[in-house]
Amino acid sequence: MQRLRLGLAPYLLILPSFIYLAVFFAWPMGRSLQLAFVRDSQILPVLSEPQEDADVVGRLPMQIEVAVVDRLKTEELLPNGRTRPVYWFKVVGEAENGDTIEGWVHQKNLFIKSRTESDTARVVSGEGAKEWTLDYIERMVNDYRFQEALKTTLLLIVLILPIQFVLAITMALVLQSRLRGNTLFLYIYAIPLGISDLAAGLVWVTIFTQRGYLNTFLQQLGLIDQPYIFLSADRQHWMIVAIVLAEVWRATSIVMVIVVSGLQAIPHEYLEAGELFGANLWQRLRHIILPLLKPSLQVALILRTILAFQVFAVVVAITGGRVLTVLAYETYRWYDPGDSGFNNPNMAAAYAGFIMLISLAFALVYLRTVRTQEEAARE
Amino acid sequence: MLRRKMRSLIVLLVILVLTGTLGAYAQTGKVTFMSTQFNTVEESDKARAILADFGEVDFVPSEEGPMIDLLKAEAQAGSGTVDLVGALHGTFPVLAQEDVLFDLSDLLAEIQAEYELPEAFVELGKLGTEDYQYYIPWMQATYIMAAHKDALQYLPEGADLNALTWEQLAAWAKNIYDATGEAKLGLPVAGLFHRFLEGYLYPSFTGGMVTGFKSAEAAAMWEWFKTDLWPYVHPQSIAYEFMQEPLLAGEVLVAFDHTARLINAFNERPEDFVGFPAPAGPAGRGFMPVVVGLGIPFTAPNPDGAEALLKYMLSPETQARVLKDLAFFPVVGGVDTSGLSAGVAIEAGAVAAQANSPDALPALLPVGLGARGGEINEIYRNAFSRIVLNGEDIQTVLDQEGANLQKLLDETGAPCWPPDAPSEGACQLK
Repeated sequence: MQRLRLGLAPYLLILPSFIYLAVFFAWPMGRSLQLAFVRDSQILPVLSEPQEDADVVGRLPMQIEVAVVDRLKTEELLPNGRTRPVYWFKVVGEAENGDTIEGWVHQKNLFIKSRTESDTARVVSGEGAKEWTLDYIERMVNDYRFQEALKTTLLLIVLILPIQFVLAITMALVLQSRLRGNTLFLYIYAIPLGISDLAAGLVWVTIFTQRGYLNTFLQQLGLIDQPYIFLSADRQHWMIVAIVLAEVWRATSIVMVIVVSGLQAIPHEYLEAGELFGANLWQRLRHIILPLLKPSLQVALILRTILAFQVFAVVVAITGGRVLTVLAYETYRWYDPGDSGFNNPNMAAAYAGFIMLISLAFALVYLRTVRTQEEAARE
Repeated sequence: MLRRKMRSLIVLLVILVLTGTLGAYAQTGKVTFMSTQFNTVEESDKARAILADFGEVDFVPSEEGPMIDLLKAEAQAGSGTVDLVGALHGTFPVLAQEDVLFDLSDLLAEIQAEYELPEAFVELGKLGTEDYQYYIPWMQATYIMAAHKDALQYLPEGADLNALTWEQLAAWAKNIYDATGEAKLGLPVAGLFHRFLEGYLYPSFTGGMVTGFKSAEAAAMWEWFKTDLWPYVHPQSIAYEFMQEPLLAGEVLVAFDHTARLINAFNERPEDFVGFPAPAGPAGRGFMPVVVGLGIPFTAPNPDGAEALLKYMLSPETQARVLKDLAFFPVVGGVDTSGLSAGVAIEAGAVAAQANSPDALPALLPVGLGARGGEINEIYRNAFSRIVLNGEDIQTVLDQEGANLQKLLDETGAPCWPPDAPSEGACQLK
């Protein structure tokens, strides 16, 4: 009896969060992944009579030429007192299976040069039909900007993560060392946590731009006569430097917070024992602290890598997104219905799915390689 | 107590406005004019001042996307609020596909009986059909060149500013570079640069926008652009959106851009800057007119008012005021161009010289791409980035991006448009 109740209770407790995750994460994620593989194709039903509710005699694919053999003009009275001519065309065309289909279609489904005279027309719309496709994936992989974006994103990860981890561990050790005034360090280190990534990007733009702080500073030192243009197409390495600096400045403290909590979990006895046997700081770090920090480092690594695949605002602020691009920016551009975007949610979904896949792959690799000793011993 | 009453009164008013109850009391003579142009506050005020002389007009500036959505929704509901629609040519194919616009052929005939309209623009308004006038051209803009007068001393020998060739432009930019040590030619690479490639370079060198995309002429053009022109283009061009600021700041001395994105330079310092036509290449002087049109939706509550307002907008007097106050160029003949501000006068001269030059080759915007118009721009931009910025092999890039272009044309079934020769079915690359 007792066992049974215990068996149900944990699941009941999990249920609310499970429902929350299912409704707000799993469901939208599944739908957006589906977008990457489903095409909203259209197919035109051809009717037996020139009326909306007539029988369907066959269906025609999009963008084919059809012969117009008859037409019917009716007039619809509009609420503003005008009339609107409505045409029905009797067309002959070839269905996908090769059958010849003859019947009536409404004007809105055809592109026709002259409604009164043309004897051919092109099928341009119909009713929606969904079909599975790999087109979007194929287009994404073959897109030149995709390869550029992937290269830049990976390059940024390779450059940023090691710097961040060395810095974060050093900062955490400084905080732990109980020096005088170490709370002051904590506050200073934590400031970037409260800054949005776009703001961080803009801060570094004002430093690196033609009339920015860096150029002014160098000019005052007398090192250069004219402002040096850091952010230009043929000096992409400077853009990378600016992005790396901005990202390190902005996102190192989150790693530090995780490392600090990991450090606090290490029992003092271990360190004292090490000291007793004459281990110096480096030896203690290498043989006691780092091995015991592995679980927190693993968490931080996974978190930082996933976030690095989503890096967006800093890159856009510094490069304008035209010269250097990253995966998240490409996703946005395909989605964006405005002037600089392509209004294509399917392609955006393909990119989003790719980012998810690559993040998952990295997370799995980390989970396997940065294992704690107990985990390794268990196998 | 009083404040409470006031508050409920305000809430009631807001509800009334939102549900349109108040709107129902509007007078029948009112015309609602929705436009994607003039949607900054300053421009809207000037437009309203012009419209006020017509009568009671509710001028509603809007972005393109919301306007399309609104018109679609009104068509589905069967009743609407918008009488007259003003938008760029590129907006109309979407509206035509939704079948929401009246055929304005009869109205056009009335207008053409009084004033002259350019045949090419009237054709554009038919969107590829023969007898359905989706919009009537309203006004135009284009892209021209601007230069600081200090740059004129470096013009290559024998060059005529109003009949430059691309070779001469490159030589000019090189002279400036040699003399000042800086690249001072500016291109709006972060702005409307794709129009520079589609409507200016390609037509000038290949005679078309699309069919010659990967031709030998195109390869030679890119080679020239990369080695003869780009080294003398200001390196910050990749970040320029509008050229008027770098011109005014003195960062560049010669620039190419849309007339609306140069006007501040001409207006603020008319004595310092000159405007002139874009250069010509072996195939002619390619240039791209930007056409803004007017259409009337089926759901217009006041179609008579809309027609009257449309006629008013096309009268030479109104066209002159639009040019003077808003720097958009007229489409009808017989417009009085005296009394223009100095900046607009400079631009008007350059626009006329460009359109009337003997080798003029107008390149129009694509008609048949529908909602996928943005993708064609990206293909041209990608070709530029890969060839000029990344130094990839020219023919390889043109073949790959040409395949993307062909795919886009096949999928949309878009026939060739001027300056390419007309095609049966989807346009095919050479």
